[in-house]
Amino acid sequence: MDLPAGIRNFTYAQDMAIFRTRWQWMMLVVFILALFCAPLLLNNYWLGIANLIGISIIAATGLNILIGYCGQLSLGHAGFIAVGAYAYAIMVSRFEWPFLAAMIFAGVVAGLTGLLFGIPSVRVKGFYLAISTIAAHFIIIWVINQWSSLTGGYNGMGVPVANLFGVSFAGQKNQFYLIFAITVLVIFAAKNIARTRLGRAFVAVRDNDLAAEVMGINLFRYKLLAFFIGCFLAGIAGSLMANWIGYLNAENFTLNESILYIGMIIIGGLGTTLGPILGVVFIRLLQEGVNSISPLVEGWIPALPSGFTAGLGPMVFGLVIVLFLILEPRGLAHRWNLFKASYRLWPFSY
Amino acid sequence: MSELLQYIITGITVGMVYSLIALSFVLIWKSSGVANLALGQMVLVFSWFTYGMLVQAGLPLWLGLGLVVLFSLGMGWLIERAALRPLIAQPILSLIAVTLGMAFFIEGLVSFIWPRSVAALPRIFPEDVIHIGTAVVSQEYLWAAGISLLLFAVLSFYFKYSRMGIAMRATADDQLAVQACGVPVTRIFSRSWMFAAVLAAVGGVLMASIGGITHGLVETGLKSFSVVILGGLNSFLGAILAGPIIGLAENVGGGYLTPLTWPGVKEVIPFIIIVIVMFVKPYGLFGEERIERI
Repeated sequence: MDLPAGIRNFTYAQDMAIFRTRWQWMMLVVFILALFCAPLLLNNYWLGIANLIGISIIAATGLNILIGYCGQLSLGHAGFIAVGAYAYAIMVSRFEWPFLAAMIFAGVVAGLTGLLFGIPSVRVKGFYLAISTIAAHFIIIWVINQWSSLTGGYNGMGVPVANLFGVSFAGQKNQFYLIFAITVLVIFAAKNIARTRLGRAFVAVRDNDLAAEVMGINLFRYKLLAFFIGCFLAGIAGSLMANWIGYLNAENFTLNESILYIGMIIIGGLGTTLGPILGVVFIRLLQEGVNSISPLVEGWIPALPSGFTAGLGPMVFGLVIVLFLILEPRGLAHRWNLFKASYRLWPFSY
Repeated sequence: MSELLQYIITGITVGMVYSLIALSFVLIWKSSGVANLALGQMVLVFSWFTYGMLVQAGLPLWLGLGLVVLFSLGMGWLIERAALRPLIAQPILSLIAVTLGMAFFIEGLVSFIWPRSVAALPRIFPEDVIHIGTAVVSQEYLWAAGISLLLFAVLSFYFKYSRMGIAMRATADDQLAVQACGVPVTRIFSRSWMFAAVLAAVGGVLMASIGGITHGLVETGLKSFSVVILGGLNSFLGAILAGPIIGLAENVGGGYLTPLTWPGVKEVIPFIIIVIVMFVKPYGLFGEERIERI
């Protein structure tokens, strides 16, 4: 399909490979090398943004499996990230679990929470599910704020620095390696989930769940599995987030953050591997841009109302989400594919 | 005992306002099948606009409230025309996501124009408290309940007897058939958005005159989703009956459960009810169960 001319497959293994040509492999290796050399060039400020992007990519990939592949709407993703973050922080600081065990535990706890609130998905969909996940968000945040003997309540709780194989992950640079190693693994796993029986079943459920059931897909199992995987990744992202922020507070996980995650995967392109990555980079850079530009603009034009800085961000994000839905519902990933196709065919576009 | 009476009266009257806001949701859902998740933000922006008119511009009450109604009509029209009409016949996810985008935009707009986080409306209703038995009720609550009831009556008559109302019900029933009969469906959509915006505005003004204008109004909008879910998405009657039930559960439950559980339980009771309804009877008390065909 989108292979260069003259490439033929002689074995099934060749046909199934994600990276088909030597050139693609080279691009991949160069890209990953460049990615892991980035901390040498970037300063702490930009590394912080890159780390946030990495964490968000993990969460958005989870949400993309849930919404983009399986079609189950979830508006409580920030709540599930919070569950993961707190589960990790409690395990590490109160029970002194090692990093990896605590991270996987956080993922499982978030996944099970997602399962619980995903059970209605078997009977209802669309708006009903959106509302039940919003309810999940509020209940989770309430429990976190009130169960102060465990979570520190409104005061928040500190998270000790992670330690893996004797390397301590303090500072943005060390965390960058940790976060992006996990991000690369997660993207690879997500790509492969989408290509296997599981992913195909998800897509069938998304396109028409009744038809999927008739074809022999166990709806109960696959819908809940989608919730588990999506929220598991949210939990992993949460544990990295806890590690990255260093001090947890329920205010870090707002409903607006969940909406922003949905905006990210819509802008990136639902149901693609590339989509969440592009969407996250786009939104997080836009956030940074708005944050750094609005004080400048306020300095130039003093007549602006005093709420300019606070209001500009949400207005821009809302506008971007609405415009993308109207003008390019298939997202940036689709644009990127169009660009690649036209680049490859240039100058003869037929 | 007097506590209980107090909780019950507060619960029912606040619940009536929830019903009003829920009605705004049901109106749009019934006619166009769009789930308006920007409801809370609409309530917020209309009550801030009321504040702008009555306090900042210092207009007299009748003119200020008239302008609020005009503004909400215009905003409802604009939202439908600009954001929803290009997305007709798109999947439900796009429709939900576009209202979420709008919610973000409106929230930004509010903090753009009114950067203060809290304000109080001038008193619209008389100040004297009323004694019912042993309970003391301030008049806002009763006025709010009365106005909500009045609007229910007006809406019910509108849908029952007016030409446009009948066309709206027909659209809800079967869009294709209605289009074949020559009813302008897009006009019905925009009309229902305009009415829904007015309902949200009235609900917002009532809530704000009870509790002041805070960001909590957005949560009020979210709470009215529990009314919608409990009553059934496409039932006016359901919305009207479920509102007081939610209000009662919130106030009575909040009053008696707080010592037993954690503080703030009042705020999450509507959300817990949502989850329970989802498990037990997902289509609500009066909702129509969808039977799908492939």
